[in-house]
Amino acid sequence: MTATTRPTPTASRAAWARKHLFRTPRDSVITVITAAVLFVIVWRTIRFVFFTGRWEIVRVNLGLYLYGRYPTDDLWRLVVTLVVISATAGLIAGIIAKRTRIAAQAAGTPLPGTSIVGRIVELAFRLWPVVVLVALLLLLSETITPTLVTLATVAAAIAGRLVGALLPKRATFLAFVLPGVLPVVLLPFLTAAQGWDDWGGFMLTIFLAAVSMLACFPLGLVLALARRSTLPAVRVIGVGVIEFFRGVPLVVLVLMSSVALGFFLPQSILPGKVVRVIVAFTIFTAAYVAEIVRGGLQSVPRGQTEAAQALGMSPFRVTGWIVLPQALRNVIPALVGQFISLFKDTTLVFVIGFLDVLSVADAVTKQSQFDLANFAEATAFASLLFWVGSYTLSRESQRLEQRLGVGTR
Amino acid sequence: MTDRRTVRWLGAIAVLAMVMAACSDDDDASDTTDPDETEITLIQEGSRLAAIREAGVLKCGTRDALPGFAVLEGSDHVGFDADFCRVIAAAILGDATAVEFVDLETDARFTALQSGEIDVLVRNTTFTAGRDGGEGATFLQPNYYDGQGMMVDADSEFESVADMDGTSICVAAGTTTEGNVASEFERLGLDLIEVLSFGDPAQLQEAFIQGRCDGWSSDTSQLTGFRSEFPDGPDALRILPDVFSKEPLAPAVRDGDTDLAQAVNWAVYATIQAEEFGIDSGNIDDFADSEDPNIRKFLGDDIEEGGTFDPGLDLAADFNKQVISQVGNYAEIFEKHLAPLGLERGENTLWSDGGLLYAPPYR
Amino acid sequence: MTSATTTADQRPPLWRDVRFLRVVLQVAAVAVVVAFGLWLWGNLQDNAETTNIPLGFDYLDQPADLTIPGSDFNQSQPVSDAIIVGLGNTVRVAGAGVVLATILGTLIGIARLSTNWLLSNLARAYVEVFRNIPLLIIVVFSYSAIFLRFPRLEDARTYGGVFLPSVRGTGTVWITTDDRGGAIAVVVLVAVVAAWAAARWRRGVQDRTGSPAHGFWFGIAAFLLAAVAGLAALGFPLGYSTPELDGRRIVGGITMLPEYAALLFALVVYTASHIAEIVRGSIQAVPKGQNEAATALALSSGQRMRLIVLPQAMRIAVPAIGNQYLNLTKNSSLAVAISFFELTKVTQVSIANRAPAVPSYVLLLAIYLTLSLILSSVVNVANRRLALVER
Repeated sequence: MTATTRPTPTASRAAWARKHLFRTPRDSVITVITAAVLFVIVWRTIRFVFFTGRWEIVRVNLGLYLYGRYPTDDLWRLVVTLVVISATAGLIAGIIAKRTRIAAQAAGTPLPGTSIVGRIVELAFRLWPVVVLVALLLLLSETITPTLVTLATVAAAIAGRLVGALLPKRATFLAFVLPGVLPVVLLPFLTAAQGWDDWGGFMLTIFLAAVSMLACFPLGLVLALARRSTLPAVRVIGVGVIEFFRGVPLVVLVLMSSVALGFFLPQSILPGKVVRVIVAFTIFTAAYVAEIVRGGLQSVPRGQTEAAQALGMSPFRVTGWIVLPQALRNVIPALVGQFISLFKDTTLVFVIGFLDVLSVADAVTKQSQFDLANFAEATAFASLLFWVGSYTLSRESQRLEQRLGVGTR
Repeated sequence: MTDRRTVRWLGAIAVLAMVMAACSDDDDASDTTDPDETEITLIQEGSRLAAIREAGVLKCGTRDALPGFAVLEGSDHVGFDADFCRVIAAAILGDATAVEFVDLETDARFTALQSGEIDVLVRNTTFTAGRDGGEGATFLQPNYYDGQGMMVDADSEFESVADMDGTSICVAAGTTTEGNVASEFERLGLDLIEVLSFGDPAQLQEAFIQGRCDGWSSDTSQLTGFRSEFPDGPDALRILPDVFSKEPLAPAVRDGDTDLAQAVNWAVYATIQAEEFGIDSGNIDDFADSEDPNIRKFLGDDIEEGGTFDPGLDLAADFNKQVISQVGNYAEIFEKHLAPLGLERGENTLWSDGGLLYAPPYR
Repeated sequence: MTSATTTADQRPPLWRDVRFLRVVLQVAAVAVVVAFGLWLWGNLQDNAETTNIPLGFDYLDQPADLTIPGSDFNQSQPVSDAIIVGLGNTVRVAGAGVVLATILGTLIGIARLSTNWLLSNLARAYVEVFRNIPLLIIVVFSYSAIFLRFPRLEDARTYGGVFLPSVRGTGTVWITTDDRGGAIAVVVLVAVVAAWAAARWRRGVQDRTGSPAHGFWFGIAAFLLAAVAGLAALGFPLGYSTPELDGRRIVGGITMLPEYAALLFALVVYTASHIAEIVRGSIQAVPKGQNEAATALALSSGQRMRLIVLPQAMRIAVPAIGNQYLNLTKNSSLAVAISFFELTKVTQVSIANRAPAVPSYVLLLAIYLTLSLILSSVVNVANRRLALVER
């Protein structure tokens, strides 16, 4: 429908332009006006980025943006964490790729093999915002260390990918175990230098989003099952909790986590401020996850349950092996969408004084060596961090959607 | 049919089991730790002081963006308020570094105190009747006598608040400042367009620079602090001579924490008394064998009958000495953090010099 | 209970009796929830008692000690009045936001599907940029980097006598009435009814005869006719006033505070990017045959869109767009990050002043829940009405 094909570099270019830009007189007018608007936007953007923008403020505070006030002497901990995570991601990707290939061969449709270099190039193109961002960060940094760290991270990912593809079938369990084990190992490793109540920057953003998402999923699942229950009392509780938290603004919950939650708990178990705000994010997101999962449960045909029962499966197996897997497969893209929302919503901790990316952007403009006119630069950089993460995730989610064949009913 | 229903209610069991498992986890946890916990609560109810000693650290509520009073330098809190946290820690724990700073937004400060997230609040907070009564807080000896003032552009035509008819004023949200501005304008019979309150000091400063408002009102000490860090230099701003409210800034503890309240009070008095005696962190060793019995008592040295003077405050005998040697006396703390901003001692001098600082006798 | 086991041997034992277990399970579930609630309530009571803070709503009658820009609210008025003014501001920003976001979002959604390559890609770029940036950043940015950069008071000037942008607020020309405001409202109401009747009559004519209706133009004409006649009867009591600077105050016309403008702008820009995607999806979901059939009937592209495609797309889009309206209303609470005094900001400031935190937030949650319920029931009604048209 949308004409998004690019012009081919031949004589057909004129034909393409006639078809897509100047089909009717009215079309021509629209094209001219749009081109004018586009020109102004592009021109102003280029002027801002390359000429008028004073990016010194970002360059000087790059560390603050990325990892807040994490002690300088312990930055190696972040490097190790980054390398370990990327190696693990590569390993899991390798294991999955191998399983997929074997499955495809077994089905008689072997996948076309491409060279490693080809695949890396393809991946780099697919994740172009991330590549551009990393290149930008390296450009802004003054020393060679960040470049080395980046190379080490990429190398770790590639190595993990290669090793993963070599592992025997027995090792498949690693793909499930490692994501669970990693946080348990890495968190104490990171907090040894600085407790998470003092974390800041993009590191805090990712931490808040990841932990809240992990925690909200089981809660959302329980709420969804409760809402679908045939037991009236259970259903009422499920509906009540879900609708309550969907009906109130997240900011209010975040403010409450900072100001009011302490009153509802005995003082002896009052958690720190980061844990409290994670509770707010978790409960809020769980209500939305519950609605998504409910949609997924409803999309599984009743016949599936009946067939499973006819095979003599126990009720637990019916739910756990037949209904939930199908339901969850259908809702993975929606869940990713919710995760993106959560990722963006973590900026709300700004209003309770956490040192997240937005607070950094706000705080650095107060440094006396910078003029306040730098606010646009400071915020633009913060937006870029979020935009890259959010855009990449949503693109990958769309790809996943196509690969899972969701929506092709 | 029954089978299907069986599935459903077994599903429900699963749900419930999960819910109950989640809850019973809590129960188990509290069961196993119950004996310890009750002990702790007992101690806490009896004495917050003991609880602090048990933890080995004083949780002090501060703020990280108030020039002169508490700002972050690296991961270190530096400033007048931050040093008074250290004074209290030195008095209670004998170690000025045993402080856990908890940075609080304005709207969260009393709640943090009420909910026990912090032990003591030393955060540029004005001592008022409404707060003493309504916020579950007990205010103690003020460590700084402040007053609300008004700051304007250096090249504006305003010479005093009385000139500011028909203006907009920016203030920091959630302070006594807002109401004071409105009252002062009313008293002077001036037209006030609006009072804009900002939660975020950076945003407030920016709005002021962009001309969103004509005046910036706050406690004079804060204004001086912001002025000293102003991007265009302190000379771009002018603080009007008017001081139109009393703002005694005082530490606060939770209602009911009497023993802690006493400790905090006497820790603050220690800095004042030391200045009166002329003792500071540099010369404190010279007073080790002072002849003056009052100084001997104060520093916890042996007094004639043998043993040391114990007023029964449940503090170490030499807590005054710890405070002075590890942090300093009032003059030192002031000179270190507030004088560089251009603040005068003003009312914050000893009573003997005509100021308001007066420590009850330590005997 | 015992009868269940004794009456019939075929019955399963108690612990496998479905009906019995259903009851037990529900009782258990309720018990767990109630116990949890009581636990929270008990903690609250304990904490309130030990810290000597009130849990009641008496604070609502206390002076608020805050001022609200853009209103006559006086600092000695009670907290309850402040909350009502805050609610008014929430409704004002959400109402305007809903209207503007719908218009902008629909336009961009349609542009996204344009056959014009440039236009559709510009629309796509808009959506991809604003959908992927946190709303709070847009709010803070639009306040600090756009609306606080409006001309300073000393540089402010009026454009064409109707538009006065400044950092203190932006004034535009506005209608004034004399003291017969009520009568004028009646005239406007009558004119609206006349317009509606005319449009309906023309549609009826079109249904019967098939001749083009031009209902929209007839409606406009009827509205103008009725309005002019009514106002003439009143002796043209309408006037207009232009914004002017009087000292440091903008008088005349209507003034929009930069805080309000910044929040509204951010909400509209952000929500429009979401609505555009919904509109695009809904239009694409209208079967292609509809469009082709309309083309075969020689309808112009504008008519195809307006008469055939959009009405059907609307039906698909309503629930999702309704959700966006809800989100927009809830998101107006992001005003806490700037100095716009809507509900949440008022609550936050009054807590910082002296109001007790727990009752204040309970009240705030209750108000938002009520707003959400009202809005979602409106959306449900709209949805049902649109669905009825279908079959």
